[in-house]
Amino acid sequence: MSLAADAPGGPIAWVRQRLFATWFDGLVTVAFALFGVYLFATLFDWAIVNAVWTAEAREACTASAGACWAVVDARGRLILFGLYPREEHWRSALACVAIIATMGLSCVPFFWSMARLAALWLIGFGTFMGLMYGGFFGLPTVTTEQWGGLSLTVFLFSAGLVVGMPTAIGLALARRSRLPVVSTLAGIVIDFTRSIPLLALLFAAAVVMPLVLPSEVQGDKLTRVVIAFAFFYACYQAEIIRAGIQSVSKGQEEAAAALGMPGWSRVFDIVLPQAFRNTLPATINQTVITFKETSIVTIIGFFEVTSSASAAVGRGEWAAYFVEVYVFVALIYFTFAFALSRYGAYLERRTRLVRG
Amino acid sequence: MAEAIKLETVGKRFGDFAALSDIVLAVAPGEKLVVCGPSGSGKSTLIRCINRLERHDSGHIFVEGTELTDDDDAIRAVRREVGMVFQRFNLFPHLTVLENCALPAIRARGLPRAEAEARGHEELSRMRIGDQAAKFADELSGGQQQRVAIARALCMRPRIMLFDEPTSALDPEMIGEVLDCMTDLARTGMTMICVTHEMGFARRVADRVVFMKDGRIVESGPPDTFFDHPQHADTKTFLSQILGH
Repeated sequence: MSLAADAPGGPIAWVRQRLFATWFDGLVTVAFALFGVYLFATLFDWAIVNAVWTAEAREACTASAGACWAVVDARGRLILFGLYPREEHWRSALACVAIIATMGLSCVPFFWSMARLAALWLIGFGTFMGLMYGGFFGLPTVTTEQWGGLSLTVFLFSAGLVVGMPTAIGLALARRSRLPVVSTLAGIVIDFTRSIPLLALLFAAAVVMPLVLPSEVQGDKLTRVVIAFAFFYACYQAEIIRAGIQSVSKGQEEAAAALGMPGWSRVFDIVLPQAFRNTLPATINQTVITFKETSIVTIIGFFEVTSSASAAVGRGEWAAYFVEVYVFVALIYFTFAFALSRYGAYLERRTRLVRG
Repeated sequence: MAEAIKLETVGKRFGDFAALSDIVLAVAPGEKLVVCGPSGSGKSTLIRCINRLERHDSGHIFVEGTELTDDDDAIRAVRREVGMVFQRFNLFPHLTVLENCALPAIRARGLPRAEAEARGHEELSRMRIGDQAAKFADELSGGQQQRVAIARALCMRPRIMLFDEPTSALDPEMIGEVLDCMTDLARTGMTMICVTHEMGFARRVADRVVFMKDGRIVESGPPDTFFDHPQHADTKTFLSQILGH
């Protein structure tokens, strides 16, 4: 790329060389350009020019060939808040903002220490729980069965990560333990969990656990689901970390040992930071996948943002406009996933994985 | 005063391969020992046994009177007193040069951060590389990295330093700067064991040169005798090979 840009002759020569070198190249270029313009124009017409924007104008949707964004206006609250009581939506919204703010803050280098991250997430989850569950200061109690929408999605994601990441580190270290019992057990647990679908694990946590466990230790259904979700994530992340540990040269551990550094410091100060740095792309990948996988909890009766959206168009007057609703939901997912990817790219630059 | 390091009939095997056989060696405090020999002769294994990066199978090793056994506390106590410099530097790439020096001193010696960093600056300056403290290892030349590695080891204030072919991975033009730093260090009275093929350095600095072959000490003596009047046929062959070009 940079070679071509530096080639003499400027942009015109570049275009001629790159896009119109032969008559066939020229044909392909023109065909794709026309197709691109057509695609963009059609989409623009549908999404903007002919679109209907407000819920009051619902009748206009039937007549118009464009997008009916009115459905988002009319059903937006159901999509974003699920079954949460309508008068209390502000709590769900605030709770959602609290979690997103906590996620944002944990991305800032200032908070990158065990103590600060732990304090930050205690406050974050505490605020979330207080707002969502209520039961004090005159806030009516809203049980977890009624939680839903975007706040449930971000909660599942962040709790999965915050619980799952330390578990993953523990599992990865256990799998590399010198004690055969520990490493074999960790290996079996990780490989078994990775061999079953997330769906089966969540189903077991939600439906089978209550049949097996005595009621005192069952906990709330959402708690069980979060733990199962976190554990599933942890097993995949553990293998990424293990790969990272194996990529750190033996000389690093030896140098630390020769300096008299204690075992925990060799692991947490020397080996793990490099393991994470070396596997950053895979870790970001797994994080994005985990965000998108939160939608699976719909199967056990939780209405996170995707299932709330399906419910919002499921029947009745807006049923015809499911495309618009799913485009809206897709944009929400895109916003989060894309932000995660960009943050990953920033981390790679920062940790000098990629040379600027 | 007692020996700084004492090896009594030490043996070490890797499977069927005898890496060390019947090694008897005593190093006095402040002594500079150069170990040489063909590759695979057990030189590296020998010094790696002294700080227990390798576990010896037979015999006894004493470092400043402490015997190296499976006792982890004893091993760490010995490692705090014995610095090591590796052929491939092994600097921590995710830390700055200064952090490379300060963190081990904090973790292994329990120094407060400010003191550890002050020590880091001091030792880096001594290795004439104080101006690079804020950089990362991969921004430095090989010679600079090796001097950082020496400074890092010195931050532990060890009484003994082990060098495992410290200049073998360097480009020729950088060997001098590292050897100069090692020479300065030798003048401070540090006990040093250097595995190296730098015979000029051995002649200038060593009190004694040890020649190893097939896991055994074949010959040892002061540099003048060793280089000018080698006794053993293997030593003569080795010296002619290494000095011949």
